[in-house]
Amino acid sequence: MNEQLVSMITQLVMEKMAQSADSQTAKATTTSTAQPLIQFYDKPANSQHSITEPEAVASEPLIKLYQHEQVHTASTSLEQPLPEAAPAQPFQFDTAPLNDSVQAAQTYTPARIGVGRAGTRPKTKTWLKFRLDHAAAVDAVYGEVSEELLQKLNVFQVTTKVTDKEEYITRPDLGRRLSDEAKALIQQKCKQQPTVQIIISNGLSASAIEENVQDVYLALQQSLNNLNINMGTTFYIDKGRVALMDEIGEILQPDVVVYLIGERPGLVSAESMSAYLCYKPRIGTVEAERMVISNIHKGGIPPLEAGAYLGTVVQKILHYQASGVELVAKEG
Amino acid sequence: MKTEKIYSAGIDIGTSTTKMVVSRFLLKNVAGVTHVPRIEIIEKTVLHQSPIIKTPFLNKDMIDMKKIEEFIFQQYQLAQIAPTDISTGAIIITGESATKENAREVVHTIADGAGHFLVATAGPDLEGIIAAKGAGTLQQSKNSAKVIANIDIGGGTANIAVMQFGEVIGTCTLHVGGRLIEFQDGKIQSISLPLLRLMEKWPQPLVVGDAADDARVSQCVEEMVKILSMILHGQCQDEGHPLLLGHLPNWYKPVDAIVFSGGVASCIYEHDCTQRQYDDIGEKLAKMLLQHEQLQSFLWLQPKETARATVTGAGTQTTDISGATIQVDADVLPLKNVPVFNCHMDASIDFHTTVKTAVERADDLFAIQDNRSPFALYFSELPYLSFQDVHALCQAILQHLATKCAKDIPIIIVIQSDYAKIIGQTIQAIDPTVPILCIDQIKVDTGDYIDIGEVLPSGVVPVVVKTLAFHSK
Repeated sequence: MNEQLVSMITQLVMEKMAQSADSQTAKATTTSTAQPLIQFYDKPANSQHSITEPEAVASEPLIKLYQHEQVHTASTSLEQPLPEAAPAQPFQFDTAPLNDSVQAAQTYTPARIGVGRAGTRPKTKTWLKFRLDHAAAVDAVYGEVSEELLQKLNVFQVTTKVTDKEEYITRPDLGRRLSDEAKALIQQKCKQQPTVQIIISNGLSASAIEENVQDVYLALQQSLNNLNINMGTTFYIDKGRVALMDEIGEILQPDVVVYLIGERPGLVSAESMSAYLCYKPRIGTVEAERMVISNIHKGGIPPLEAGAYLGTVVQKILHYQASGVELVAKEG
Repeated sequence: MKTEKIYSAGIDIGTSTTKMVVSRFLLKNVAGVTHVPRIEIIEKTVLHQSPIIKTPFLNKDMIDMKKIEEFIFQQYQLAQIAPTDISTGAIIITGESATKENAREVVHTIADGAGHFLVATAGPDLEGIIAAKGAGTLQQSKNSAKVIANIDIGGGTANIAVMQFGEVIGTCTLHVGGRLIEFQDGKIQSISLPLLRLMEKWPQPLVVGDAADDARVSQCVEEMVKILSMILHGQCQDEGHPLLLGHLPNWYKPVDAIVFSGGVASCIYEHDCTQRQYDDIGEKLAKMLLQHEQLQSFLWLQPKETARATVTGAGTQTTDISGATIQVDADVLPLKNVPVFNCHMDASIDFHTTVKTAVERADDLFAIQDNRSPFALYFSELPYLSFQDVHALCQAILQHLATKCAKDIPIIIVIQSDYAKIIGQTIQAIDPTVPILCIDQIKVDTGDYIDIGEVLPSGVVPVVVKTLAFHSK
């Protein structure tokens, strides 16, 4: 079986389990503070149907899942009355209560600690969760930011020299250059020499942008307004790399660039976004002059707070006319 | 990385002794370079420990404020710190001293005069917690899963604080102390009121003038140890017990280990009472605690501080640091004794109604004769908010508070999760004229009081929470 099919089946199985427990008020077993993608439920459902089709999000269900209410006990002798069929318990994960110390430790980390084991291997539940998170990470890389969101933010879209995802991953250098059409479009549509130029790119996680960019952007906008700092024309770059800001700096000549970009997804979150900042980025800017606020997502730095904070960072960069290592040096 | 120094003072005026510590905190941004800053106290150094002096009294009901002030300024000199350099800390008046006529006046006068930002605070539950922190018991409880009780026995009271995993889960205070019976020239010189009440049932209670070695003195001490043991074992249900001060124990887990601090504890762990030069039952009490059979079933742990636990706690453990991304109007700081009202968020009720009800109830609670006094609106369980949600919330806050605020009554908002910057900023964006104080990452509850110090160079504010909030499951 190929990778994608495995993740799909995993997802279906887990959706099924979640659905069958919907009728019950069940308690999530995960204690992690981060919003789990799929919740596990302690209690089995007492649903009556014997065969159910998963209401998969996909248009065509790939597989059907069966849930038998009754176990057909094979009787050895037909003369004897059939034994009263015991209602089969739907499958249920073993939920050994965690002791206090493990629970206390779990509050300090989103890592998969205290998950137990089956022999030398992780338990099925842990393993499925791991596969799900891994699949979410893969999806984040290969996903796209929706047209709807871009319209809502009122930003136009440009491309880099990259043609597809594979090339984006294998050729970082192409992700650092704008396509010729993009250059023309930016020249034509954007305000020249703004104090702050905000740019957005999906980077390595489209879901990061989908989830966070609106709140960060609106909060940053408000923050800059409060501080009386003028903003240029924001636009979206498909498949951009961080250093692309240098070329944009050349074209638009802004004082500061704030670049909101999806981070490489991990197994804790596939929705983490970073904000890269740089004072007067131009072709030839060294990496030490860039700075970053990373880990912007629901379980990390709340997007709204990050946006509000970014405003003060921009103010500081403008005040010291420096960013990155130089800013730290100038601050003393 | 840059660090920042602040100075803190702790003063403890107890039933029998008064002491002071001056300490230095080192503040540092502990977040990684790519994160939003998080300022924490990374180091606490005690710079100066005063000698333990006898609490000066003018007479039976009055504390000698002048002498205490003299003592404090003398200690500042010895520590080579100017009172104006002190930016945080606490002065607490504990045990029987807190019941003296001029107790309030004393703490407030000293708090105003003895440092730039010193906080006056009292109350038996809080004392127990501060002592447990100062004795290092709270820290100890982080290192094991054991439920640990810290029993701070001073001259007048025994303050019990019970904790697990570094969280206080309950408190209780008893009239158990070294100075409840005092002697002079081999005779009883005084007996405290709670003990007299305890002996009411006795056929022949002790009276002033009886011999110091009377068997009934030992009987009194035994009663004290017995009630302490019962409380710790969770066997005491008698709300009207004469030795109980305030409420019955409010923790729900059995205690595994015990630690003693306070003046009497120095006789327990050091096996000599050289630190106590008092003619009273302190020594006897310590001996009895060591021998008492029921207490032996607990694991006995060592404290870091004994006689100085409370003052060390007051000086080094009462200050919290707010989150780094906050919005504060520096002109209105510092603020002292701000009551907190917890604004409960309910998903089914809109912000407007929630805030309206909270403001009305808080006004009822805290306004003194129609004079509005400032209070802090606390949001503990904010759901995940979008930009639109924050706007709706801020509109609601402004609508109900903006008309009522003034230069001396700013809008004070405390948030548990990390939302202060955006909420403060949004309020400013809507109405730039209102004085606003919006801080976060502070855990408080209704009934607590907070003090907010002046803004430090790193942009954070020191906050002292006089809390009674327990972590309960």
